Amino acid sequence: MFFESIKIMLLGMGTVFLFLTTMVYMTKIMSKLILRYFPEVSKAPASVSQSTIAPVQKTNENAKIAAILAALQHHHALEQEGKI
Amino acid sequence: MKKILFSLLMMLTISLSSMATDTVIEPAEHVTSPAAPATTEPLRKSTYREETYQPLDFKDMMINFYHTTGINALLQPKEGVVTSQGKPMSAFHQSWGRVIMFGVTFLLFYLAIAKGFEPLLLLPIAFGGLLANVPIANIAGPHGLLGIIYNMGIANELFPLLIFMGVGAMTDFGPLLANPRTALLGGAAQFGIFGTLVGAYALSQFTPWFDFTLQQSAAISIIGGADGPTSIFIATSLAPELLGAIAVASYSYMALVPIIQPPIMRALTTPEERKIRMRTLRHVSRLEKLLFPLLVFSMIILLLPDAAPLVGAFALGNYFKESGVVDRLSDTMQNALINIVTIFLGLGVGSKLASDQFLVIDTLAILVLGLVAFSVGTAAGVIMAKIMNMFSDEKINPLIGSAGVSAVPMAARVSHKEGTKDDPTNMLLMHAMGPNVAGVIGSAIAAGVMIALFK
Repeated sequence: MFFESIKIMLLGMGTVFLFLTTMVYMTKIMSKLILRYFPEVSKAPASVSQSTIAPVQKTNENAKIAAILAALQHHHALEQEGKI
Repeated sequence: MKKILFSLLMMLTISLSSMATDTVIEPAEHVTSPAAPATTEPLRKSTYREETYQPLDFKDMMINFYHTTGINALLQPKEGVVTSQGKPMSAFHQSWGRVIMFGVTFLLFYLAIAKGFEPLLLLPIAFGGLLANVPIANIAGPHGLLGIIYNMGIANELFPLLIFMGVGAMTDFGPLLANPRTALLGGAAQFGIFGTLVGAYALSQFTPWFDFTLQQSAAISIIGGADGPTSIFIATSLAPELLGAIAVASYSYMALVPIIQPPIMRALTTPEERKIRMRTLRHVSRLEKLLFPLLVFSMIILLLPDAAPLVGAFALGNYFKESGVVDRLSDTMQNALINIVTIFLGLGVGSKLASDQFLVIDTLAILVLGLVAFSVGTAAGVIMAKIMNMFSDEKINPLIGSAGVSAVPMAARVSHKEGTKDDPTNMLLMHAMGPNVAGVIGSAIAAGVMIALFK
């Protein structure tokens, strides 16, 4: 009867390790899939608060201004070349 | 300190005398009562009482009253007194047994209040034990306060599951998800459980003093998982007669984690190993945390449905928390619900501290075996970390291995503290939380295996 307890020990530890090892690999696969297809970046804008959105808009405006200036400059250059 | 003891003593005397006055009507039965009219026709209750109550002279009244006091019950054990299970109770358990148990409950009060050992559970358990040992009142009987609580949620294994739900709602799987490998440490620590199962069974096979069945050995060994609710869950289903001792051992050792673990951890590691620094954990996304409890639960469904009640309750609590849309419910689980259930669970377990159930030689063996189980679990976790270091380039600090026994978050804190002794800037706490929560899952799996084998 004593060996009964040894058998239970082997079965028990085996199950615990089988379960946890499987869990480790499944978790790794899950994390990889999530990081590849649903990366954290997609989540970031949703959680960004108002205060952090404001500077983003500002930089957008700067870019717009830069683009307009560049266009003006280009236009000006074309004028001077006499093409218009 | 003296003040506390004194107030406890006062409380005891007050409770004893009030219990005695409650039952003052009883002796009317064995006073001579010729031909009670109740046999002829059913009368209204109040009239009936009046008819059966016999006028007495004051001396007899005093003597009758004395027979209902706790003093008499403690000093003169009688034949035919039954335990809360309705079995006859020995003279020792009626008299000195109760007195010793009052002493034991005071010791538990002292540990809980003055030493701060898991007071949240030890105090309700100890007070439950005090109530359970009151003579005559039979509070732990099926119609007493403790008996009702016991049948309401412990006999049917409900309370440990509700506690598990709350624990789930408090758990953060982030550290485990960031470094899943450390889950294996939580698995190794379960060797404490199964090693002790063999030990306990060997003890009863090869020595004449103990006679544990395989089920009882299994219930005792679960103490090695260092998980109170799981211990109670398993003890109730496999060996309810040992519940009191197992629960007390389990919670006492959980409280003693900072004393039991460090010597074992130091003995098994070198200073260089203790100084190992682990890579900072990566950030874990919300989606990962949200899917993890479902992943674990689906694996349980496929591999070990017998662990589904425990892991299911745990996953439920965690899922509610991580979903982020039911903060009110998760908040209730983490606070109000777990607090209420803790009171009931403690009192219900305390009912098993009745002298007839606790003062048996088995209790001593359970306390010793529980300590062994706990130490073996700690050692196995540390050794597992060392083995993993042999096969991997990314080293693990073996001190976090001891956190594989599930006592959350105490075991993780001990790992961190031991680490800072050799390198004050080494932050091990978050690393140790990984094996710590894996230990909870691990001991739930171990429990599931036991249930699957013995049900």
